[in-house]
Amino acid sequence: MGKRRLVPVMFGLACMLSLLVAAGTARAEDKSRLETVLQRGKLVVATFSTAPPFCYTDDKGQLVGFDVDIARLLAKALFKDPSKVEFVVVTAEGRWPAIESGRVDMGIATTTIYPDRAIRVAFTRPYVDSGVSVLVKKGLGTKSLADLNQDKYTIANLNNPQMADRAKKFIPKTKTLTFDTPAAQVLAVRSGRAQAAQLDTPVADWYAATNKDEFEVIPELMGYSQNNAIFLKHGDFVWWHWLDTAVGEMRTGSYYGDYSEIYQKWFGKNPPPQKFYIR
Amino acid sequence: MSWWRWFSVYGPTYLDGLAATGVIAAAAAVCAVIWGALLLLVRLELGRAGARAVDAYVQVFRNTPVLLWIYLIYFAFPLVGLTWPAVVCGGLALMLQNGAYISEIFRGSVKAIDLVQFDAARSIGLSSWATFRKVVLPQVLVHSLPALGNQIILLLKDTSLLSAISVAELTMNAKLLTEQTGAAYEAFVIVAVLYLFLVAILELGVKWARHAVSWRPPHHAL
Repeated sequence: MGKRRLVPVMFGLACMLSLLVAAGTARAEDKSRLETVLQRGKLVVATFSTAPPFCYTDDKGQLVGFDVDIARLLAKALFKDPSKVEFVVVTAEGRWPAIESGRVDMGIATTTIYPDRAIRVAFTRPYVDSGVSVLVKKGLGTKSLADLNQDKYTIANLNNPQMADRAKKFIPKTKTLTFDTPAAQVLAVRSGRAQAAQLDTPVADWYAATNKDEFEVIPELMGYSQNNAIFLKHGDFVWWHWLDTAVGEMRTGSYYGDYSEIYQKWFGKNPPPQKFYIR
Repeated sequence: MSWWRWFSVYGPTYLDGLAATGVIAAAAAVCAVIWGALLLLVRLELGRAGARAVDAYVQVFRNTPVLLWIYLIYFAFPLVGLTWPAVVCGGLALMLQNGAYISEIFRGSVKAIDLVQFDAARSIGLSSWATFRKVVLPQVLVHSLPALGNQIILLLKDTSLLSAISVAELTMNAKLLTEQTGAAYEAFVIVAVLYLFLVAILELGVKWARHAVSWRPPHHAL
């Protein structure tokens, strides 16, 4: 690189580094995001687009799903109008920068609560139970995770470290492939690149139910029951508190009716009871 | 996290990705240049039909995104029994796409060769294959060095698309690191700097090549 090229390249580097510094500096926000959202009149939400039945695009290209409807319910609570939501579709690793940069107010994207994630984003209480199941090609003959734990099989993971850890723990001999959307994972199984895919239980069940002769789900869960929750940026107590209150009321209080409707619509059954002592 | 700690903890991951990107880009670039030269040969030697075929090929690859081909070769080819490793699929897609552009670059350079040279070649009895090898190819390569260098830089950047099919190159490692640590800015700014570094090496290579082919004897030797 001659001297004449050095200046523009250095300039470009300097621009990038200054962007980094500017982004890293704490921007003191006096007012809570709740106020910003109320003033804006619209809720901006990060979500996926290929994780049915939580968030996916239907045949008409509309973003639909359980998570989508929950976000609309939140908008209804804020503005009395469920249509006042703007969805920002992200990929698996893109959901965190979307939150941290402040581009979105919150994320609801079939995201499971893990303590190491909670270091960087805040979670509300869970809005739905989840777990991790393994979707396999029908006719593979694997009835359990032990059957899948062989060198000749490949499993498609999402690019988060929890998936890699789980695969190492339960099926260490199986080879792994890493993709950035659930759709790519399922496509890998469909095309024979992998024989199995690690997905959230409701997502795996949905794919198996809508493609009965292609997929099936291994009945054994990879681990235990887990919690999916709304995630938002750390440090904003008022916003977190409102969201957490809203989710709490959805599951156990005043919004249980609306919540049950959405739950019935997407899972075909009633949600867990409001309180253990209520039949 | 301080930059120093960042580098000591994640440095090896970045270096793995850097090595993978470099190797894939180098292999795909060599194949693309060879493929581009082959397409040029077809255009020159197989008459009107050959030229039309190459034109059609170039049109197809100019008008479609390379990610499409990467997905097609990786996900769809296994359905007809062709299951190649992810790196091969990605490299093939890059070779096909960039080979098309490179053959166009070569086509421009061929026009710079004086027609007289072809007559001269024929008159000393060179076959068309020998003409291609000894007259056309060397001059075309020399003329197209700047444009070739540019195209190879584009190819290098396109290797980031291979992260979509689970190839452990630089961008994929940046994505994994973002997921692991949530530090999206740090992860991606470092990756950008590393790509700049690779491109700088490439530019040095192109500069060296240009010097090597434009050697003039020093004044005192003449």
